[in-house]
Amino acid sequence: MFPISEKRFPALGFGLGLRKEHYEAVLAGQPALGWFEIVSENYMVAGGKPLDYLERIRADYPLVMHGVSLSIGGTDPLDVGYLKQLKTLADRIEPAWISDHLCWTGVKPVNLHDLMPLPYTAEALHHVAGRVRQVQEYLGRRILLENVSSYLDYRASEMPEWEFLRALAEESDCLLLLDINNVYVSACNHAFDPYTYIEHLPLTRVQQFHLAGHRDYGAYRIDTHDEPIIDPVWDLYGRAITLFGKVSTMIERDDNIPPFEDLLAELAQAERIATQTLPPHDSSEFVKKSTALGI
Amino acid sequence: MPSLRELQQSIQAYVLARGPGAQTEVLASPSVSAETRLEIYANAYRVRLQEALAGDFPALWAMVGAERFAHLAAAYTDAYPSGHFSIRYFGQHLHAFLASSEDFRNEPWVSELAAFEWRLGEAFDAAHAPPLTAESLAQIAPAAWANIRLALHPSVRRLDLGWNVTEIWQAADRHETPGTPLPYPHPLAWLIWRQELKTFFRSLERKEAWALDAVLNGTRFSELCEGLCRWLPEHEVAQRAAGFLRRWINDRLVTAIDAGPG
Repeated sequence: MFPISEKRFPALGFGLGLRKEHYEAVLAGQPALGWFEIVSENYMVAGGKPLDYLERIRADYPLVMHGVSLSIGGTDPLDVGYLKQLKTLADRIEPAWISDHLCWTGVKPVNLHDLMPLPYTAEALHHVAGRVRQVQEYLGRRILLENVSSYLDYRASEMPEWEFLRALAEESDCLLLLDINNVYVSACNHAFDPYTYIEHLPLTRVQQFHLAGHRDYGAYRIDTHDEPIIDPVWDLYGRAITLFGKVSTMIERDDNIPPFEDLLAELAQAERIATQTLPPHDSSEFVKKSTALGI
Repeated sequence: MPSLRELQQSIQAYVLARGPGAQTEVLASPSVSAETRLEIYANAYRVRLQEALAGDFPALWAMVGAERFAHLAAAYTDAYPSGHFSIRYFGQHLHAFLASSEDFRNEPWVSELAAFEWRLGEAFDAAHAPPLTAESLAQIAPAAWANIRLALHPSVRRLDLGWNVTEIWQAADRHETPGTPLPYPHPLAWLIWRQELKTFFRSLERKEAWALDAVLNGTRFSELCEGLCRWLPEHEVAQRAAGFLRRWINDRLVTAIDAGPG
């Protein structure tokens, strides 16, 4: 369906999740960032401030669209109304790429508005792969699917998550958004080795990295996006950069939102790790897309 | 083994109402039982939807307090689970729910405040449409006036309120001490709309409210004038209707004039 020589879109360097609290800071300061990621659903509205800010920021930065409602693992038919609005937004802002999560979000008539984990079975694999192909056909491009943080696993699962993800990417010809924090959170919750996870993912399919903070509740961890990134996640990111190379990297922060400068400083840490890890040529080419992050 | 759909139905039943069956499908971890793992999702579901409501109804939250708001949000979540793909629309039935809720039977202002806040939200992200200027009116031939229909800005919302909830909302918006809910002697008509990116609201006297509702229903200008005759002597009607129109143009409410005969 798509050319197979280079599956990935060109890398964008270092970016941040665009949040309304930072609209003014972004427009006024024009920070030297490679790109922003938006939550697609926040802009699936008819007009007003959200779309106005979005278009002004789009004039200066590449954007990528990150959705939470595709329910690619759901067992109801794909929501054609949702896909239509997703495409309308994509036509409007021309994102570098479009992503969502490997999850299901509800069984009709209910939407749980959560990223519910799937059982890792052959049945689920073929089911999801077929739906990914449908979505890619409709959007006319490869999509990225993100690994979610999960807090339970199913008796029915027949394979580890990384094996499912790898098989899914191959069978559906999609790309992956590797959330480093989610790997770490799920590794803690399910007692697997996060390094084994990332080492088993297909090298040519990882398009983007997410970094974020989470909460440790002792017996389990929750992906809250309301804290700075912790050191073990930074270490895992270093390994991911070694394995996958110059993959576009961004930080998600959704609660307890700090001043924009604090996120820039946190992102500079990612850039430092990439600079120290990548070969000099790759590093300079990758980092120059988002220079002057304050380091 | 259950099918993928059966598994999802059973997990969802637990999340929504602690339904049976899910525990046997979920494995315990070394430190957490299957039930606790399911509880993480069940709790997160309620917290997430409650936060969405608190974000969409900040004045209501401030007025009833965190504890009572949590209670009403939980009851609403059970009564009106979200069905839309976007959480943006979850609160759309809250005012109807509150209007029929036994808990708020003696506080009708609570439902009115919810209705007002929801409509503010609708105006906030309604479609953009360029407003007409006074010059556009001048271009209408005198003979054409009878048949014209007006199109209003997509953000225009109308509601009638029996309580001073707009004042309550303003106090909450400024983070001031919450006002005292007071009933009006008679219900008051309100208009909400957006100019460019800024949302406005104002009260309407009865005749203007009727005329605006007539316009929203697609009434022709001649019928609008006829309708105003119930309040005004015939020789004043055209002037008053033109006065409303000027005000609406000044408020940037009017986005198109259809002069066609249909």
